[in-house]
Amino acid sequence: MATPKLSIEDKIFKNLDGSDDWSIKGYQKRGGYDGLKKLLTTNPDVHIAQLKESALRGRGGAGFPTGLKWSFMPKPDGKKPNYLVCNADEGEPGTCKDRDILRYDPHTLVEGMIVGCHCLGAETGYIYVRGEYYDESSRLSQAIDEAYEAGLLGKNILGTGVNVDIHLHLGAGAYICGEETALLESLEGKKGQPRVKPPFPAGFGLYGCPTTINNVETIAQVPPILKKGNDWWCQFGRENNHGTKIFSVSGAVNLPGNFEAPMSITLKELINDYAGGVIGGWENLQAIIPGGSSTPMLSAEDCETAIMDFDGLREFGTGLGTAAVIVMNKDTDLLRVMTRISAFYKHESCGQCTPCREGVGWVFRLMERLSRGEGTLEELDQLYDVTKKIEGKTICAFADGAMWPVQGTLKHFRHLFEEKIKENMKKSA
Amino acid sequence: MSEIKTITLTIDGQQTTVPAGSSIMDAAKSLDIEIPHFCFHKRLSVAGNCRMCLVQVEGGPPKPTASCCFPAGDGMVVHTQSDMVKDARKGVMEFLLINHPLDCPICDQAGECDLQDISVSYGSDQSHFAEQKRAVEDKDIGPKIKTVMTRCIHCTRCIRFATEVAGVEEMGATFRGENMSVGTYVESALQSELAGNMIDLCPVGALTSKPYAFTGRNWELIKTPSVDIMDAVGSNIEVHSRAGKVMRIIPRENDEVNEEWISDTARFSYDGLYENRITSPLLKNKGKFRAIGWKKAVETLLPKLDNKKTIAGLVGDLHAVEDLFAFNAFMKTTLGSDHVDARMNGFALDGSYRPSYLFNTTIEGVDSADAVVIIGSNPRLEAPIINARIRKNVVNRQMPVYMVGAEVDLTYKYKHLGDKPENIAELYDGKSAISKELAKFEKPLIILGADTLGRSDGLGIYKEAEKLADKIGALSSNWTGLNVLHNKASAVAALDLGVYPEDKGMDLGKTLKALEKGTVDTLILYGDSTHVDAEKLKGAKFTVYIGSHRDAYAEVADLVLPVTPYTEKDAWWVNTEGRLQEAKASVAPLMNAKEDWKVFRHLSGELGKPLPFNSLEELRAHVLKKCPNYKYNNCIAPAEKWVSIAGADKLLKKSFVETVTNFYKSNEILKASKVMTECAESSLNKNKAMRKAG
Repeated sequence: MATPKLSIEDKIFKNLDGSDDWSIKGYQKRGGYDGLKKLLTTNPDVHIAQLKESALRGRGGAGFPTGLKWSFMPKPDGKKPNYLVCNADEGEPGTCKDRDILRYDPHTLVEGMIVGCHCLGAETGYIYVRGEYYDESSRLSQAIDEAYEAGLLGKNILGTGVNVDIHLHLGAGAYICGEETALLESLEGKKGQPRVKPPFPAGFGLYGCPTTINNVETIAQVPPILKKGNDWWCQFGRENNHGTKIFSVSGAVNLPGNFEAPMSITLKELINDYAGGVIGGWENLQAIIPGGSSTPMLSAEDCETAIMDFDGLREFGTGLGTAAVIVMNKDTDLLRVMTRISAFYKHESCGQCTPCREGVGWVFRLMERLSRGEGTLEELDQLYDVTKKIEGKTICAFADGAMWPVQGTLKHFRHLFEEKIKENMKKSA
Repeated sequence: MSEIKTITLTIDGQQTTVPAGSSIMDAAKSLDIEIPHFCFHKRLSVAGNCRMCLVQVEGGPPKPTASCCFPAGDGMVVHTQSDMVKDARKGVMEFLLINHPLDCPICDQAGECDLQDISVSYGSDQSHFAEQKRAVEDKDIGPKIKTVMTRCIHCTRCIRFATEVAGVEEMGATFRGENMSVGTYVESALQSELAGNMIDLCPVGALTSKPYAFTGRNWELIKTPSVDIMDAVGSNIEVHSRAGKVMRIIPRENDEVNEEWISDTARFSYDGLYENRITSPLLKNKGKFRAIGWKKAVETLLPKLDNKKTIAGLVGDLHAVEDLFAFNAFMKTTLGSDHVDARMNGFALDGSYRPSYLFNTTIEGVDSADAVVIIGSNPRLEAPIINARIRKNVVNRQMPVYMVGAEVDLTYKYKHLGDKPENIAELYDGKSAISKELAKFEKPLIILGADTLGRSDGLGIYKEAEKLADKIGALSSNWTGLNVLHNKASAVAALDLGVYPEDKGMDLGKTLKALEKGTVDTLILYGDSTHVDAEKLKGAKFTVYIGSHRDAYAEVADLVLPVTPYTEKDAWWVNTEGRLQEAKASVAPLMNAKEDWKVFRHLSGELGKPLPFNSLEELRAHVLKKCPNYKYNNCIAPAEKWVSIAGADKLLKKSFVETVTNFYKSNEILKASKVMTECAESSLNKNKAMRKAG
């Protein structure tokens, strides 16, 4: 049974392809900012209850229920301000959805920030944009200026008494600053290194104040959910995985790109109906990384039945992550890809925790050697052993994310290593 | 009072109850369960990055938890010996060692290295690592600390110490991941008076003592408890010696005094104990010193000590309690001369009322103060340990600090309220905004620089400070907040023991005038002082210098007698709080030097008026008779009811100036030390460079 494509009305990011006007005029023409006044005059608790019910889950990778997260925020006590921080440090290899939101539909985020700040009792919001997204941040900056001019930001928005200021901050090129507490450290002007938790940001976040950090897509999806209601939202996707989602499809497909589609769409449909199919045909498929480089890959066999939502992919021992689908056909040297991914993680480890700092480099070097067949079969077990010694031993989830793809490769494609090693042994004999 | 909540949890099957907010590691400590760790240090913030302290918490996520930073919870069940924990520790240990050079045989840290110890207990006996090891370039961070950065395990203790305790944000980490490198970014000498503590904090051999490098192995050293005398804090130290020579000095823990820090002058000045020392009596002949025997020296000296002559004695900065007592008694009873003064800075008060010249609040008391007013002092240079204590409270509790005096960098923010004595009145006049602000504190602490009280208007300044203390409630029944901060080790003891004219003798000023006029027959210079220029001490018919180092004062003398510095005698020391602490001799007196009190006892015998003690015990009994407060060994005397000092209220228009201008050269041992000379030069160069850069 095919999942019907989203109509333009049902799409949250109506200008994701950049064909229309990105500015406030274009956004308002597409229905943006309609009903904002009503949202700002409604009690935040009502909004948060609705979000909880909507089962909106964080689009940044972890899939944590947004309504629940927002309910952790204490009510402002007059002593310390509350903050909403938008995580636009999109760095997960394969992921480029936030980029298109920032440059083609930035007002969806601005509106989301306004509503988010209202819901969380925050008067100040920060948007931390990845340093490489310079052009995109300029667009966003213009959009924020437009919103100020239109009276949609600043003091007493639309006469509702709600005050929201948004500050834009550019990162300096560290992947780890996408981890929410490292992002806060970086925002505070320190070295971007994840913080020890507890305390959690909801209690002790930016500058020691209660803070909520959400992904661009999550924040932008909040106003439409609140405006159109949960019935509309819940018609898409399965139980606990409702809504629409942007999938970034890249790699060996005929039409790579960002596609907004209903959640729980099957992977095969996504590849064939949206991304123009695998280069060389579905039979030419070797493996797919379903949610950004941190998620273990799916074998071609798994791809037949995989359902693209948080729970569906967990059944295959992987995750939806950022929904960045990286397709590899049989022309791809899979081991080289995975070695390159390991090199990325070696480069991006912040260096704080011992296992990650020392171990990720070790894993990369083993991958590099073993992927060329230089090594022994025992070293494959050792590689797995090292990944296990790193996983779950660190402050943040970076190391886990760096180890899962290696473990996934060993699980599905150990035979490739073995072939290379045996071949190499023969040569040297 | 709010009730302190407690938490009960089970660790390895044993139950323990700890205060709410304790970490799992704290709780384990209460049960004497050892949890290995590298980055955690009780006096620094928690980093949680070494991952060595992982433990298993039942019911939590299926992965180990860092016990140093995870709060203990009620009913929690923790395992520190499960397979999961053992595997995790083995894993972390292996990761730490893959890039560590394992050059223990040539590493100065070997034998006192956390990495070695923990590796033996918790590590594996082999590594699986077959790749190239990382190598990191060493950094030159000044004459105090030697770096071998390849050994660094990135625990960030040094960074946290520099940032949090020392207050110089000069250490940091650059680059990411396995390229992360600890250092100063721009390679330059650390400008901290406490930098040496990073050596103790470094759990591996990355930061080691530069002067001590390759000179000894720690297991060969004899460790003697002692007290530092480079300032008047009385930091507890341990002197390490080998074959009768001091090899290095490290701190001892004492929460009431120095916690576990010592200043760099205390740590690195020991080479000065062997430079420029007087090793036998010297007699000046045609302007040149010639070594002579003790017998001849005494024979030369005795006629000059005839009690018909005018004999004056000036006492330097670094004398122990017993020696001061013996010298005072020698001058006053044996020689019958009251012309003796130890207040080389011209200190305005005498010893008649003890709280008038002590750091009454105590050093630990800084932790309970709610504001600090500093008058005419630079605690960063005069007592770095106390300054670190103030800084701790400024950082942790936002304690406000006010300053009347030279505007200097104290490593924390303060409100500067002028630099003249007249500015003190504005703090308590009840009209100015600042006086209203000060009046609202409950436990204000006033610090008066001892050298400032050595100005000619010292008494007036003291009276002003007393008025201020009274007006802002620093002299209440449960809080004595008026403190004098001394910077010389023997200052308090000299006042306690009455080493100043007690009858009608000449004090320092009068002695100097008499020297100018040429009316002094014999001048006894007991020890060196930076306060009085040696040029002013010429003019006596005969000058004898009794001291350990051949410094400026020795050069003006006709006869020089060698005595011992602090490491070569059992002695009592009294710090600026009035706290008596005992130091043990770590090495024997160098060559022909003799213990000071024995010299005075011997001379008194030769003069036919022997001092009434023949052993250190007998001498100490006499000291205790004179100063009953000293029986509270290693603790300060009970507080007395405040008595105001009578005196003039004269105040000069002159600004307060910095009195310790060269931190690394402020006494004869420091002046003799080559390491201290290097430190002084490097800080001078840095200052110059900074001035140039604008």
